[in-house]
Amino acid sequence: MTDHAPVLSVEGLSVRRGEQLAVEQVSFQLARETDTALVGPNGAGKSSLVAALLGLLPRAAGSVRILGHALGPAGELPRSVRAQIAYLPQSLALQGRFPLTVGEFVGFGFDPPGLSLAWLGNKRRTKAVLRALERTGCQDLEERRLSELSGGQLKRVLLAFCVVRPRQLLVLDEAQAGLDAPSSEQFQQLLLELRRQEGWTVLQVSHDLEMVRRSCDQVLCLNRRLRCSGAPDHALSPARLAELYGPNVVPYRHHHAGVPGHG
Amino acid sequence: MPGFLAMADASGLLEVLGQPFMQRALLGGLLTGALGGLLGSFAVLRQLSFFSDALGHSALLGISLGILLGVNPTLVLIPFAVLFALLVNQLVARSGLPADALLNIVYSTSLAFAVVALSLVETYRGGIQQLLFGDILGISWSDLTVIAVLLMGALIYLALSLRAQVLLTLNSDLAGAFGVGANRHRLAFIMLLAVVVAVSIKAVGVLLISAFVVIPACGGRLVSRHFPLYALLSACLGGGCALLGLLGSGLTNLPSGPCVVIVQFAGFLLALVVSQQTSRSPAVAVPAGPRIPGAGRADRE
Repeated sequence: MTDHAPVLSVEGLSVRRGEQLAVEQVSFQLARETDTALVGPNGAGKSSLVAALLGLLPRAAGSVRILGHALGPAGELPRSVRAQIAYLPQSLALQGRFPLTVGEFVGFGFDPPGLSLAWLGNKRRTKAVLRALERTGCQDLEERRLSELSGGQLKRVLLAFCVVRPRQLLVLDEAQAGLDAPSSEQFQQLLLELRRQEGWTVLQVSHDLEMVRRSCDQVLCLNRRLRCSGAPDHALSPARLAELYGPNVVPYRHHHAGVPGHG
Repeated sequence: MPGFLAMADASGLLEVLGQPFMQRALLGGLLTGALGGLLGSFAVLRQLSFFSDALGHSALLGISLGILLGVNPTLVLIPFAVLFALLVNQLVARSGLPADALLNIVYSTSLAFAVVALSLVETYRGGIQQLLFGDILGISWSDLTVIAVLLMGALIYLALSLRAQVLLTLNSDLAGAFGVGANRHRLAFIMLLAVVVAVSIKAVGVLLISAFVVIPACGGRLVSRHFPLYALLSACLGGGCALLGLLGSGLTNLPSGPCVVIVQFAGFLLALVVSQQTSRSPAVAVPAGPRIPGAGRADRE
């Protein structure tokens, strides 16, 4: 794969949820080291699209290529390609006293897919985990239970899980959901910093249009079909937003008071 | 209780331990308890506690079918449990109804059929208590071999798939995105749990099987921060409590299954006390918040 080849290439993708098409005939590409936002109203098919791209939902039609490799009908990808993909979900099913420390969890991000005893650990793994925790400001959390963390801490630990080994594509599904404004801003700054350092190509589902306008290179507006795409100023114009969300939605630019660089 | 007092001395203990059936029962209790604790440590986190309970109750139908067909009930129980697991898995996937409601439907119906079937078998009416509460003293060497092989198999599978099991428990999309065959591992674990429940029923009984899966795992969870330690501790608690419970049962001539569960409950209470003590200890005080440039107060609660 050449440096100019897209990291992700989607052609005529349709995804079915039950009896209905949740996503219909969507095509787009993600260029290397770009940050793309996927926006749209609730029920627009954003999560279905992301799930299909990751091979978690079957495709009704179309093709997906990741790093030049075709995604199989049941989500098959060569192991070396799968290891280049990271994903940040909205939340984890953490009930009280979940017996897993932050260090252990981040270590699982380092381990290869498939059956192995890699969790028993070695020097290379320990070093990678410590480095990932340091880079995300989580070094003091290593021995904490995952279930003891605040929302903002948990999101940073999820980023440590992704950065613990080199990857190329990072997919975030409303990763900032549930965070207050300062935590959301910190998370976005940390993501931006890591993206530059790691050379990640990012696809993030988001409802924060102001953040998208400030941080992303490209916007995909989805409402079952791709309604528009392009640079944020073009794709998030008032007319486009009215088309996507309906005429009653008024864009509102907000600032995060108290956050360095904003306010 | 003169029997209780007569047996509860050192010579009584030695006499009990000298009996081959008691030696087999102790080994069986140790292995079954460890197996229940090990599988339970994953099942409880994946909210499958009720699955083992429902399967235990439904197993009565498998046993009844075995009796009606004139086949060894244990031989019928394993395929029955696997079928039960597959059926519930399919129902959950296809119906869109909550798993606990579906489990309730399947196990109540199985139980109803089992009671009807047992009422048709004249000779088996007297043995219902053995089915309900188990008969660990009747465990044979072949039963022990099956349980030991199953324990080894479960240990190897869970150790090799630990990453997959934990990620699957946390978020199935996260697991899938990071290369875990989520459906494959979910089904494999449910079937393993079903086989363990089926094999353990002879020793533990239909009513008490879920205690073997749930109580040691909850005790282990109270005092563990690290996942491998949690799984190991749950298995040790399960095995250790079964051993103590059986010794207590042998000494007091009280029913073995309930004795084991009572000791498991005592172990759980002990773990609760230990966890309360350690959470008050300054050695495990919550560390200071992260040090990143511009970190806000909201993250340091």
